[in-house]
Amino acid sequence: MRVPSLPVFGIYQIPFQTDAPGITVSVESGLATSTYRRTSPEGTLAKRLGYREGRVIINPVEPINLPTEVTGMLEFHFMPVTMRPNSRITICLKFPVEIGVFVGADDNYTLLDVFSLARPKYSLYGTPEKGVITRHVECEVYEDAPPTNPLEEGVLFLTLRNSGRDWIEVTRAVFESSALRLFYDKTVAMAGEMEVFSRMVAETKVIDRPPEEGMKQALRVYPTKKSLIPERPPFMMEYGVGD
Amino acid sequence: MAFESLRMELFGNVTLLDLIVFAIAVFVALVIAKIVAIYLKKSLSDRIPPAEMDFLIKVIQAAIVIIGVYLALPSFNINLADMLVVGGTMGLVIAFASQRIVSNFGSGLFLIAERPMKPGDNVNIGTVSGTVEEIRVLSTIIKTHEGVYVRVPNEKIFTSEITNFVANVARRFEYTIGISYQSDAEHAIRIVKTLLEDHPFVLRHPSPSVFVDTLADSSVNLRVFIWAPSRVWWSVRTEMLWAIKKALENEGIEIPFPQQVVTFAPGTGLSLNPGCGGEGEGHG
Repeated sequence: MRVPSLPVFGIYQIPFQTDAPGITVSVESGLATSTYRRTSPEGTLAKRLGYREGRVIINPVEPINLPTEVTGMLEFHFMPVTMRPNSRITICLKFPVEIGVFVGADDNYTLLDVFSLARPKYSLYGTPEKGVITRHVECEVYEDAPPTNPLEEGVLFLTLRNSGRDWIEVTRAVFESSALRLFYDKTVAMAGEMEVFSRMVAETKVIDRPPEEGMKQALRVYPTKKSLIPERPPFMMEYGVGD
Repeated sequence: MAFESLRMELFGNVTLLDLIVFAIAVFVALVIAKIVAIYLKKSLSDRIPPAEMDFLIKVIQAAIVIIGVYLALPSFNINLADMLVVGGTMGLVIAFASQRIVSNFGSGLFLIAERPMKPGDNVNIGTVSGTVEEIRVLSTIIKTHEGVYVRVPNEKIFTSEITNFVANVARRFEYTIGISYQSDAEHAIRIVKTLLEDHPFVLRHPSPSVFVDTLADSSVNLRVFIWAPSRVWWSVRTEMLWAIKKALENEGIEIPFPQQVVTFAPGTGLSLNPGCGGEGEGHG
């Protein structure tokens, strides 16, 4: 049984099976337990669940978990956008999506599996001593949301604001993943803001509301880690906004 | 009779009963500290990194024991102001008597404050190389790469050169790959660059670098510089070298053995094949 939104994404009652090109996710019930199975281009995974009934939630998650988690930062590297002093513009950027499989209820859930159709690549923002490792996203700049395969890509609606008195060329935006909020319906999207103070310093934050009407918020991997370290929504980019 | 013996003054006006009360109070404090440590580990272990967890537990345990001792002191009828004076004097005496211990203690405090390394880091200290297990007040425990337990006094660490392999978020490593003179070096470079591009943990920035480094005796040597996240650099290093070797071989790029061309001068009468006359070439 399934409440559909996008292929694969949704809330399922055990037992179930869902398919999309290259992906099969299923949970089969046994006498007292059930078996989770996933097949995707990166391989197969099987896990035994200690119950035979319950909910499984599949939705897009922040793309910083694969192949293993080495960072909490997401870096967009895009075609240069030249901005006038004290100006504001909204652009759209594509980003890779990972697919998270959760078990449990809304306020008490845990991550069962995460996989992706996109190939991950990492980078360094700043210096090796004081910089941060980032999940690197190389992307085009669009005026409107481009068509995407929601199982592989999402769209970031990024509002750039140049608060400085100089013309500035922006090619990079770095976000703290603990602040990422993904929404999904027919597409996957999130909204963010980047305030540029100078060529070297900017501040980024993710907006906690759906970029388009009717989208619902995806469960996040970050809260399942139950870290006591507080979330830090605005991230200060101190190593430049350009190449 | 037994109760009277408990009232017997051992030194000054401190009785055996006072000592027992003090010992029980300290014991109870130690037990409470242990229970609190277990509780903290159970409840917070998945929310706080292990290094910070150990540090937090030690601070809380020390605070509990100090409070226990403080609460037990009145059983000695000791004036705390007097004790500070006596304690200070005793401290000086003990310090002179045990300079190495005090030196280790001081070094330990500086190590904890300066934090050139933390538990879990891969380090090289003097002749010891391994993973930091624990930084104690007097010594630091290192588990070598062979799994051997090594206790290094903090004084020694403080005065040694510490190489922390994971203090920075990214680190560089390199390979030297020799290909034959007959192979196309540009093609080989393209193959290696494609492999590096495909690997998720070979960082995009700083970008990897592949170039012809030396024209050596037996091979054209390519140099490969790779930056990777410090947390995974070793696995990337071990994985990529073999991947490069296989990819080059699949594309027909030869990785030669050391070789030397030997030419015998004419007229010496020397040859590897006597049947061919006095001149010849050999590879050895």
